[in-house]
Amino acid sequence: MKNLYLPITVDHIARVEGKGGVEIVVGDEGVKEVRLNIIEGPRFFEAITLGKKLDEALAVYPRICSFCSAAHKLTAVEAAEKAIGFTPREEIQALREVLYIGDMIESHALHLYLLVLPDYLGYSNPLKMVNEYKKEIGIALDLKNLGSWMMDELGARAIHQENVVLGGFGKLPDKATLELMKKRLSEALPKAEYTFELFSKLEQYEEVEGPIIHMAVKPRGDVYGIYGDYIKVSDGFEFPSEDYKKHMVERVVEHSFAKHSFYNGEKPFMVGALSRLVNNAETLYGRARELYESHKDLLRPTNPFANNLAQALELVYFIERGIDLIDEALAKWPIRPRDPVEIKDGFGVSSTEAPRGIVTYTLEVKDGKVAYADIITPTAFNLAMMEVHVRMMAEKHYNDDPERLKYLTEMVVRAYDPCISCSVHVARL
Amino acid sequence: MRRKARIGFYALTSCYGCQLQFAMIDELVQALEKIGIECWFMLDRNSDENAQVDIAFIEGSVSTEEEVELVKKIRENAKIVVAVGSCAVHGGVQSWEKDKNLEELWKTVYGDGKVKFEPKMAEPVENYIKVDYRIYGCPPEKKDFLYALGTFLVGSWPEDIDYPVCVECRLKGNPCILIEKGEPCLGPITRAGCDARCPSYGIACIGCRGAIGYDVAWFDSLAKTFREKGLTKEEILERMKIFNAHNPKLEEMVEKIFQEVKE
Repeated sequence: MKNLYLPITVDHIARVEGKGGVEIVVGDEGVKEVRLNIIEGPRFFEAITLGKKLDEALAVYPRICSFCSAAHKLTAVEAAEKAIGFTPREEIQALREVLYIGDMIESHALHLYLLVLPDYLGYSNPLKMVNEYKKEIGIALDLKNLGSWMMDELGARAIHQENVVLGGFGKLPDKATLELMKKRLSEALPKAEYTFELFSKLEQYEEVEGPIIHMAVKPRGDVYGIYGDYIKVSDGFEFPSEDYKKHMVERVVEHSFAKHSFYNGEKPFMVGALSRLVNNAETLYGRARELYESHKDLLRPTNPFANNLAQALELVYFIERGIDLIDEALAKWPIRPRDPVEIKDGFGVSSTEAPRGIVTYTLEVKDGKVAYADIITPTAFNLAMMEVHVRMMAEKHYNDDPERLKYLTEMVVRAYDPCISCSVHVARL
Repeated sequence: MRRKARIGFYALTSCYGCQLQFAMIDELVQALEKIGIECWFMLDRNSDENAQVDIAFIEGSVSTEEEVELVKKIRENAKIVVAVGSCAVHGGVQSWEKDKNLEELWKTVYGDGKVKFEPKMAEPVENYIKVDYRIYGCPPEKKDFLYALGTFLVGSWPEDIDYPVCVECRLKGNPCILIEKGEPCLGPITRAGCDARCPSYGIACIGCRGAIGYDVAWFDSLAKTFREKGLTKEEILERMKIFNAHNPKLEEMVEKIFQEVKE
């Protein structure tokens, strides 16, 4: 007689951005199927911005995702500026990167402390940790507030930054504010180091240990960071960002409003902080470089849980990098916030490193309007790989208490820091 | 002792920015003495979508058949339903092309690919259930949440803002983007409450808090400026649609703007 198995499901994974679920189907031979159900409705961002004025489309793109709205804004603006043949001045580029770093700091702090840490400390909700883990919650709020304040000052607000415009910024903070930003960043450094220490002690489950293909933007100027023109694969292959469609091939899958991506059409791959470290660690400098060298074994490329520690390392790195970039801008003070732009016809691609990994924008501009748009987000890139790792976890634990299995598989998903809203807008026109 | 107010924060289809903004309020930790969180998937693993709550905050547009059922359930279980942010209140930016055919959009996006969930065109929450209060903005300001929540907690009812962004912009002493630069700033017809955040950075308002009614003070005189600056009806309508696509009075309103100034 055949045994009857009920699928083990988490309908709505808590403590991630967006709405998704896990479904594990078990049969006599073990795990039959694992599905990450992406149940957020589609929003058709590329389709709805077609034929719209470029500046208005650029105001709408960041709305794809709140956790990385600065990443969307800055990547879309770079693609648009490439399309119209405009290159921002160095100091403007530096300050845009500082804004991006604000997003990185806020997003990593939020993910690590509010979304990941409660699992390890046995809480359902980070707000409940306040009494027992005062120091940790204090650090979380300080880092998060620092990041959002940077985005407020440079982006006009921490979510959906309107201050970034074609040609530069609407308005720039004054010199005293930038000096204060440097001071607050350096004060935050010990807190970031504490975070790294803390996360270096957390378990990285060996159930999901195995080879992973990593992809990351190759940083411009060989300094670890956000912007670049090539994508680097951990197998040694490199390709210009414009060729992403050849090497990062998307497919529609039945259980998800978000498409899945495969390297050269076959293999799942990973993007994110860990992938950046795996591919670009030699471009790190300062305290982060030292920490990387001394903790290489924990930052190994073969375990998705190492992504948490990689984010903690990046907190240290981006704080130091932010200070240096502000100095670069201050060296050119006073800075004109904006150059006039002419909205010429053209085609532009930009790939940058959002907190969760590569985000790619392709925009074509015609008569001042968007004639073509293609956007791929880190979570869409990661979904196929995430399913592989959830399956690995499920195969080891499908006989356990279902609650334990759910808890462990959710932790795998959380380690990727998925942004489900991001993943679902995807369109091809 | 009075029991804690039970709160639920629910997400439909959105960017999660309203919840993020809510979670970013430092005072929230103190508010926990007064509120109990029954359902908030973004932060709490022990969330119960079926729990009875005193206040239900709903973020996002109704964009799947499953979400239609969800909002009905929330309404049944909640005493006060608050639509939060541009998506829940107005259908959000995803409604910008609401008049396009869904099948057509689907085909351009997913090709012949099939998905087992039922998508639909984005709609505001109010199209399906009664909404008791609205928090505007994309995203709302932190003070919008604090004001609404605080007012509910003392047993009173928060008020709506019925004046345009221009009022706050003047008080801040900003140069006028519409008059001085001729850019299509929607300040004159957009609900205030943001302290003219974007115009204070020299950025023309895109109307994220939604249109005010056109019977409010100064509407006629402010709206006149659009035409004086050579902006067209189509331009203003298209820009207003970003956040107002579901406003049934939209065309009537834009019509009025351009009629009023007829010589």
